Amino acid sequence: MGKHSMKERKFSYLLVLPAAALISIFTIYPLLYAVRTSLYDIVLTMPFIRPYVGAGNYRDVLGSYYFRGSLFNTLVYAGISVCLVTLIGLGVSFLLNAPFKLSGALRVLILFPWAIPFVVSGVIWKWIFNSSYGVFNGLLYTLGIIDSYVSWLSHPFYAKLCLVTAHVWKEMPFASILFLAGLQAVPRELFDACKVDGGTSWSIFRYVIFPLLRPVLLVIVIYETMIGITTFDLVYVMTGGGPGDSTSLLSWYAYAETFKFLNLGKGAALSIILALLILAIIIGYIRVIRLEEVY
Amino acid sequence: MKKGSFLNFLLVHILSVVVLLFVLGPFIWIFLCSLQGEADLFVVPPNWIPKRVILDNYRYIFTGEIPTAYEVRGLIRSRISQEARYILPTLLNSFTIALAVMAINLALASPAAYAFSRFRFAGKTPLYIYIITSRLLPAMAIAIPFYFIIQSLNLLDTKLSLILIHSVYTVPFSTWFLTLYFGEIPRDVEFAALVDGCNPLQAFLYVLLPMAIPGLSAAAAFAFVFSYSEFLFSLLLTQTLKSRTMSVLIASLANNPDVSYALLSVCVVLAIIPLLLIGFFFRNYVTKGMTITIFK
Repeated sequence: MGKHSMKERKFSYLLVLPAAALISIFTIYPLLYAVRTSLYDIVLTMPFIRPYVGAGNYRDVLGSYYFRGSLFNTLVYAGISVCLVTLIGLGVSFLLNAPFKLSGALRVLILFPWAIPFVVSGVIWKWIFNSSYGVFNGLLYTLGIIDSYVSWLSHPFYAKLCLVTAHVWKEMPFASILFLAGLQAVPRELFDACKVDGGTSWSIFRYVIFPLLRPVLLVIVIYETMIGITTFDLVYVMTGGGPGDSTSLLSWYAYAETFKFLNLGKGAALSIILALLILAIIIGYIRVIRLEEVY
Repeated sequence: MKKGSFLNFLLVHILSVVVLLFVLGPFIWIFLCSLQGEADLFVVPPNWIPKRVILDNYRYIFTGEIPTAYEVRGLIRSRISQEARYILPTLLNSFTIALAVMAINLALASPAAYAFSRFRFAGKTPLYIYIITSRLLPAMAIAIPFYFIIQSLNLLDTKLSLILIHSVYTVPFSTWFLTLYFGEIPRDVEFAALVDGCNPLQAFLYVLLPMAIPGLSAAAAFAFVFSYSEFLFSLLLTQTLKSRTMSVLIASLANNPDVSYALLSVCVVLAIIPLLLIGFFFRNYVTKGMTITIFK
């Protein structure tokens, strides 16, 4: 038996090796490289001077006005997006689970926005919110809600709403399909038994459905938080961080610092901070809702 | 019909229409825009129903023949963006890269998932957690180093560079997903095969994989969609049409102040078509694979 399991162990390592190797080569080395870069003052406009500054970049970044602004923007953006995606997704999943003729078609059609790239979602919504000929302006104008067209994307507050709209439109379907899969796992008899016992709709939801949806809720919230905090494509396409820096999210800020101002050291420090932020939030979630089954 | 159930019926249908409008409205609008001349798009308020449906925009993308609608007004004529014609080669690049990423995912993630779901070996749990959590690393954090690695390998502006990085970002998810999926497949048949003299590799290839087709399809579809959609690395690593992808081209069109919105709409419609094909191909497997995996 011992010999057999020895062979089995070798075989297991062989199976895992290719995947593990690919991932290690392209995550560990780049990560170390990024950490090293963040400790030097590397600005590409001054290519021959790159002094070691230790935590200097981190201190600069954390103390800067732009960082605090974009951190705040990011947390608000991610918070609102995650809430909307989760709540609307949950509501829509009940609709998809209802027994009526259209629901089959609805289940297929709803996946469309989720499958398309963020870039494409951004382009579509940018055109919809266009200040001179956008259909959103046209709709409000025709309904008499506005007297003249509004340039939504040039307004600090509305621009954020536009981004959130495009984000929720793209991400909500995924959440609703995951919730639907969860709802389908709830046996019909449970609903009926509750009704017989005189339970209200709310108590059925609270005590029967919700506990069963908890694992999927955790998956959705973690995944959506990550997507929300690292949002970059939509900002790139729709607003370019503007107007001013009102839609400058952390990823955008790190990108601009690195590729527009060519300050690699600061950009790397920002990226590391972003990675740590995500790690902290996910650990927080897992503590709050215990992850029952990793595998 | 009881009054309550009729109200219910009405409510469900009204809500469905609202949801459908929100979900599909933008697509319908873009599609309608792609069928109109540029001048017809620039009216206030917009034409809710196109005045004149033309295919000139599509013809321009495929043949380069300038749409007649543009000759109406000199000013608008200049808005024809040559750049929009690059959509076809970039779509081909995106599609090729995504297919390769899909293949790599199946080749690397399914053996790893087999090991994680079937065998015990030292360091299994840390290795598993390491592979899964590597996906949580934000792309921005490794973008610069990755650029320099690719540069030193002389792989800048190649499809291979994108295939590599997209695989790094999708294999962890595929491994996790397939480990859960394989875990749900009963082992009796495999045991029987082993007793009959198969070795574990044969049991994996000829017994487990055929039974896991829904899960494999779902993992493949996810990998395809991720790669097809990826933007940041594509933006940094590609320079010419040799490797430029659809997402980079569309973002560049979106930020081009001279872009023709009719042609941009055509590009968006064309970019969605490959996804419809993949969706149609895998339609039954994706939800099924997802359901089995997440809800045992």
